[in-house]
Amino acid sequence: MGEKIVSMEHITKEFPGVKALDDVHFELEAGEVMALLGENGAGKSTLVKILSGVYTLDHGSLNIFGKDYKTLTPNMAREAGVAIIHQELNMCRDLTVCQNMYLGREMKSGFVLNNAKMEKEARKYLDELGVDIDPRQVVGDLPVSKQQMIEIAKALSINAKILIMDEPTSALTSREIEELFQIIHRLKNQGCGIVYISHRLEELAHIADRVTIMRDGRFITQGNYADFTMDEIIANMVGREIKEKFPKVVCPRGEKVFEVKDLNAGRLVRDISFSLYAGEIVGVAGLMGAGRTETTRAIFGVDPKQSGQIFLDGKEITINGPMDAIRAGVVLAPEDRKKDGLCTKLSIRQNIALPNLDVIGGKSGIINKKTENDMCDKAVRELAIKTPNLEVDAATLSGGNQQKVVVAKWLARNSRVVIFDEPTRGIDVGAKVEIYHLMNQLKQQGIAVMFVSSEMPEVMGVADRIIVMCDGRITGELKGGEATQEEILRLATSFENKMAREDEED
Amino acid sequence: MKKKGAFGRLLAIKGAGSVLTAFIGLIVIYVAFGIMNPKVFSIMNIQNLLRSMSKYLLIGIGQSFVMITGNIDLSIGSVVGMSAMTSATLMTRGVNPFLAILLTILCGLIVGVVNGFLVGKFKLPPFIATLGTMFVARGIGYIVNGNRNTDNIASGIGKEAGDAFQNFFYYGKFAGVFNTFWIALVIFLVFFFLLAKTRTGRHIYAIGSNVDAARLSGVDVILTTTKAYLVSAFCSVVVGLILAAQAGMGNMDAGNTYEMYGVAAGVIGGVSPLGGSGILLGTFAGAGVWQILENGLNMVHAQVGIQRIVIGVIVVMAVLLDVVMRTNDKKGFKKKS
Repeated sequence: MGEKIVSMEHITKEFPGVKALDDVHFELEAGEVMALLGENGAGKSTLVKILSGVYTLDHGSLNIFGKDYKTLTPNMAREAGVAIIHQELNMCRDLTVCQNMYLGREMKSGFVLNNAKMEKEARKYLDELGVDIDPRQVVGDLPVSKQQMIEIAKALSINAKILIMDEPTSALTSREIEELFQIIHRLKNQGCGIVYISHRLEELAHIADRVTIMRDGRFITQGNYADFTMDEIIANMVGREIKEKFPKVVCPRGEKVFEVKDLNAGRLVRDISFSLYAGEIVGVAGLMGAGRTETTRAIFGVDPKQSGQIFLDGKEITINGPMDAIRAGVVLAPEDRKKDGLCTKLSIRQNIALPNLDVIGGKSGIINKKTENDMCDKAVRELAIKTPNLEVDAATLSGGNQQKVVVAKWLARNSRVVIFDEPTRGIDVGAKVEIYHLMNQLKQQGIAVMFVSSEMPEVMGVADRIIVMCDGRITGELKGGEATQEEILRLATSFENKMAREDEED
Repeated sequence: MKKKGAFGRLLAIKGAGSVLTAFIGLIVIYVAFGIMNPKVFSIMNIQNLLRSMSKYLLIGIGQSFVMITGNIDLSIGSVVGMSAMTSATLMTRGVNPFLAILLTILCGLIVGVVNGFLVGKFKLPPFIATLGTMFVARGIGYIVNGNRNTDNIASGIGKEAGDAFQNFFYYGKFAGVFNTFWIALVIFLVFFFLLAKTRTGRHIYAIGSNVDAARLSGVDVILTTTKAYLVSAFCSVVVGLILAAQAGMGNMDAGNTYEMYGVAAGVIGGVSPLGGSGILLGTFAGAGVWQILENGLNMVHAQVGIQRIVIGVIVVMAVLLDVVMRTNDKKGFKKKS
């Protein structure tokens, strides 16, 4: 291991009403990958934001490359060699790759921007990463994985020696993750120190040298990755031993509730047929771009269908828009909670009431306060949503609780089929288990549950039945208890050649 | 990588499509009016066209700068009026025209700075912040001459100086074209260069596209926002001076609702009201379309009401076209899990 390049001691940071960091210790050496772990709200993001100059610390000492910093602005951090690759990629979508890479430090000759030189430099760093991106392309037209590469290229171009990656793999396919890991290895060998934040603990084995674990804004422990077992890591993160990571409830499979026949909706939803039964959870596995989200959207009526039939309790139903689906009792908890699932500026009460105003408002359309409050109180109680009261903005809740509010919207109106799209993405280990409990709870109530997930262990652990998709088709169906990762992966890559060719096109 | 020709590269610039559409539209409308009334093609009409268009061009430049940062400037029309009143009042009191112009510019720029700080630093919604400065600037325009229009500027600075001022901004010609157009063209070229070729310009696009990303990249958001509002204020002052020169006096209601003409010119030329994209060449075309419509409808003796309706429809159509094209684009590229 190399020299110590970052050392943060006794870091304290308070926001109005919250102590986000309390006496935190963190260090990073040159040429290592330091995994920074903790549940959501543990203070990881706050810590790296202090390191990158976005927040200023209240108390404590911050030392980068042997130099003490009392105050640190984003510019100073950059000059010190710190680069951060944000979880939610922070780019100007209307600007080109090159313009984004050199934003805030444009090269000039005289008064005039020197675009040719910037493009040449940008191309050099992109080539270094081995990615095929034209610096003149507009960023908004590129897929997320490419945008991430641009952020990394940007970091290289400012000669960053300390690279912070916040959930870098959450939107990548397995092949892209592999490429990313190769790049991380290369940067590491060049002497960069990398701070790696991820909820996907299984990734750590491939890259992490050391781990720092935080919980509730406090430093818990730090050590070599090899010295920890996965259970120890999780125990340190949540502060308790999780006995069963995937709680499973066995209940008898009931009637067929829901059936989709020969559904077609664009290239990524082709001839989809499946059935859901009461008292079971069906997982949908597949790689990114397999058409899983598109399938859920087509069923829910968000995107238009080309053909296909949908049956509920044996009777055919027509779904031309979300309202039809909701009325019929087929509901969707979408992938992007903040964008599609919640009105984050509205209160929990308003969010839960939104799709149920027909119930609450009755014929007159005037909202019945009491019915509304009763409905919301019941939902909050049943789903154990952690909130001081109903009037809190949905935005202020943690990811897991937000997910519960999304579900609460639908349960208030006795839905029959609940479809989750990536319900546990970006939420912490403890909250994930609660989401699993929630799905089990629905299953026990006789509701047909379907959930799309990119995390294989989760699908295998929670689902009674697994549907695997690849390139817009269902390529196989497996029993939850019997499926192996290898088998799922084999089915998920059934069209590997075709996909590989198409990936190169973009 | 696909290789593209020079023209293809030009079209690949974001928003170039809308600029092209606007220019084609401009030519089509012009020729159509010309067929209805051949006087539209006369030298005199072209001269008048260019002169009248200059006002919309200047307003459009200012509003485009602000719109590209993702904001809006409602105070433009009031700054126009305030400038017309300030400059004319000063001159009727015998202040040297040069000094009067300088003081007028200073006053206008103060409004720009205030707008920039309210929006950039204090993060007020730009609609509200500039609504406030709109009323304040209009109020100042009323007060400077005691709530009435000014007398003729010649009454203060004498006929010779008065004529010189009026000729410089409005009645004089250079190379057969009214000075007003040359002034607007010079300002257009300067700001075109600023927006397209300099760091400030790049930052203006960046904060309109994603203000957080820009801030984290070390862009000074307050300064950049203020610069955009300063450009807008400056352009408004020049239009105010033009109006004062045209009338030879200050009119309290000069420039009323001009800010909206600026929005229209920008939007017709493909400047996104949401920020982040658009080029000034588009604004040029937009101002042209606007003026040719007004001029042409006049020449074919259309009622004022009809003119308004046509213009309103064109503005909405321009944005609608843009939205439809973008939606189609997205369908082609769509790729998600």
